[in-house]
Amino acid sequence: MIAASGHRPAEFGAIFDRHATVVHRYVVRRLGPSEAESITGEVFRIAFERRASFDPARSRDGARPWLYGIATNLVAKQRRTEIRRVHAVARLAARRGTPLDLADDVAAEVDAEQRWRVVADALSRLPQAELDVLVLHVWEQLDDEDIATSLGIPTGTVRSRRHRARRHLHELIDVIASKEKP
Amino acid sequence: MSDLDPLRRLQPDHIEPDDPADPAVFARAKEQLMSTIDETHADVWRETPDVYPRLAYRDELAAVEYLSRVFGFVEQREARLEFDGKYLCWLRSGTGMVMVTHANVDVHRIHSPLDAGLTTAIFHVYVHDVDAHYANAVAQGATITMDLRDAFYGDRVYEATDPEGHRWHFGERFDDIRARGGPEPVTE
Repeated sequence: MIAASGHRPAEFGAIFDRHATVVHRYVVRRLGPSEAESITGEVFRIAFERRASFDPARSRDGARPWLYGIATNLVAKQRRTEIRRVHAVARLAARRGTPLDLADDVAAEVDAEQRWRVVADALSRLPQAELDVLVLHVWEQLDDEDIATSLGIPTGTVRSRRHRARRHLHELIDVIASKEKP
Repeated sequence: MSDLDPLRRLQPDHIEPDDPADPAVFARAKEQLMSTIDETHADVWRETPDVYPRLAYRDELAAVEYLSRVFGFVEQREARLEFDGKYLCWLRSGTGMVMVTHANVDVHRIHSPLDAGLTTAIFHVYVHDVDAHYANAVAQGATITMDLRDAFYGDRVYEATDPEGHRWHFGERFDDIRARGGPEPVTE
């Protein structure tokens, strides 16, 4: 479909129809609704400009991983907005009573709001490239191969980065939580 | 716990039930995109109704196909949302819009009439040339539950019931029929 749209811009509308809500939901999750509309539009403008570089043979699910990659690059430029978003969502999670099980020695001494703040702080300190892989894996449920297509890196690199990110998140939560103890 | 459990639980649409974005968001974004890349693009939906009824179906994609083919609705395709293999679609007719969704007893507790055993609403849709609309519906195999007639209150109208039991009235005002040079209505 993308290949055909190379010479017929009108057909690129079908790409938008098929994937826009997924891209929009992804950006809402990471940055919030007020950023999502303009970034969604930007993702598809960039995709159209770069359509010649899209290789359908590398992707089993059409243009979706490729669009995730463009969106991820744009989200990464808004790190401060994302950190604010993560903290706001963590406060909401505490208010809504969203359950959170941390290690027993942490959980015993801090309340729900503090615990969620620990998680938000830990995510804020995670290197961008590691956060990207975790979010694509956990929230968007992309497999390693699709994440590799999205980010333009080998599948093996995705796997090792995912494991490293997981370990880092765990360690950051422990370190930050130990400072929160009264 | 799993190491990634905190991140999983922090997914915003897991903390609060997700309501879809206004379809106008996608209409605007698509319009901007298409005007950038294709100067011949013209078909953009600009209405923003204030009321959007949401109808539940067991098979929402079959409903979208049926409502489009038989009753002439047009899906605003760029706004279609997918959740775990279930869909929320937006169908417009004239200046109006309905949402078509998967019957979901857990979250919003709206049911298909097939499961409820009854229906509690009728959707009244004004169309241009109700005679042609009726002819197409019949040709496409619609279940007509009230034949086309001139009603005393000034509409030419018929009722059809869709495959899952939602009821639809399609009508045209006498004044609009006269304005397009249609046959003079006859009421008892």
